[in-house]
Amino acid sequence: MDMVKAAKELLLQDKVDIFLGYRKLDGHQIPHGFTKAHVDDLDQLEISLNRYPLEKIACDLAQKDPALKIGILARDCSQRALNLLYTWDQLNPENIETLTVNCCPSPLSTHGDCSYLTPKPTGDYKKAHGVDYNDSPKDFLANHDSGERLSRWMYEFQKCIKCYGCRNVCPVCFCKECSLEHPNLVEPGVLPAEVPIFHLIRATHMAGRCIDCGLCEDACPAHIPLRMLYREVNDAVSDIFGYVPGDHIEKSPFSIIGKTVELTPAPMDV
Amino acid sequence: MDCEFVPSVCSYCGTGCGVLFEVIDGRINRTLPLKSHPVNQGKLCIKGWNLHEYINSYMRLKGPLVRENGRLEKATWDEAVNQAARRFTRIKEEHGPDSIGVLVSAKITNEENYLAQKFTRAVIGTNNVDHCARL
Repeated sequence: MDMVKAAKELLLQDKVDIFLGYRKLDGHQIPHGFTKAHVDDLDQLEISLNRYPLEKIACDLAQKDPALKIGILARDCSQRALNLLYTWDQLNPENIETLTVNCCPSPLSTHGDCSYLTPKPTGDYKKAHGVDYNDSPKDFLANHDSGERLSRWMYEFQKCIKCYGCRNVCPVCFCKECSLEHPNLVEPGVLPAEVPIFHLIRATHMAGRCIDCGLCEDACPAHIPLRMLYREVNDAVSDIFGYVPGDHIEKSPFSIIGKTVELTPAPMDV
Repeated sequence: MDCEFVPSVCSYCGTGCGVLFEVIDGRINRTLPLKSHPVNQGKLCIKGWNLHEYINSYMRLKGPLVRENGRLEKATWDEAVNQAARRFTRIKEEHGPDSIGVLVSAKITNEENYLAQKFTRAVIGTNNVDHCARL
C-alpha cells in the first residue's frame, strides 16, 4: 500500500522520529506510535474508522520533547486541528509531517474513510424536546424563539454527568488552567453539573477555537449535541470576524494579549 | 521516544468500560475511552477519564505491609500471606468460623469472586460472604 510505503519512507529517511497512525490490536483499531526501530510494524498501519485525537497525542509528545519530529496520519479534521495548534504555538509546524488520508467523499474523492459520512440519527423524543444533531444553527435560530431554544438546550444540558469528556478528548483544548476547573465558576465535586453555565463556559471558549471534528459529541455519554452548539458559537465568529478556525494558518481574532481592544455593548438576542 | 497504546478495562467499578492507556516511554500519560468497546462505546465517566492518576500516584501501595507492634512494615508476599493465614486460623479456633466475614469486590473478575466465596464457605466454613455491589 502507498500509505504504508510513504510512512516507512518518512521514518527511514529520518524525516520523523515517530509516526502516529492506527493499527489493530486485540481486535480494536487503536492509535500507535510507529518508530524507526520497529519500522516493519507499519505493515499493520490502518486508517481507523474510530477516530482518536492524534493531534492531542502529538501535543503530549511535543511537551515531553519539543524537538521531536512527529508524523501524523491526518484527515481533514486533523489538518484543521494542526493548523489551529500551530497558530496557538502548541506545535511547531517544522516538526510535523502529515500523511493526508481521505475524509468525507467529494467530487474529487468518491471514497471516504470517515465515520461521519452518514448523519447521526436523532430520536423522536429528542427531536420534539431537545436539539437535533443534524440541525443547522441558522435554521435552529430561525425556527425557534428564544424561550423554546432555552428549554430545548436545557433539556440537553440537564443530562450532563460532568465527566469532562468533551474537554478531555478535544484536540484543541490545551490550556494548563481550565475555566471548567475554576472553583469560582464551576463548583468542584458537585453533581449534577450547574446548567447551563458549565456548557456555556465551554461553548464560549470554543468560539474561534472549535475545528468541528465531532470528537466531543462522540465522547458524550449524555448525547448532548455539542457539535451543533459549538457550530452555533463559531458561526458568530465567522460572521463577525470572517475567521474559520483551522481553515488555514492564521491567528484567531481572539489572540489579543498585549493589545487594547474596545468592545461596544450589543443586545444578546439579535 | 516511545508511544504506544494499551487497551484495558477500567478498574473503578463493575461496569467494565474499555479504556485505552497512552503510554509514553513506559509511563501512562493519559486515559482515552476505547471507541470500539461494546460496553462503553467510546464514552467514559469522570473516574475512567482520570484512571492514569491513581496508577501513577506516589501513594499507591505496590507491595504487602504487615502490622507489627502497631506499625505497618514492608513484607514479602510469603510473609504476609502466612501471617494472615496464621491469624485467621487462630481467630477461627478461638471464636468459631462465623466470627470471620468476607467482602468481595466488583473490581475483581467473576472467577476471582467465585474463588473468594468458595474459600469462605469451604475453607473458613462460614456463609458470611457478600459483595460490594449490594452495599
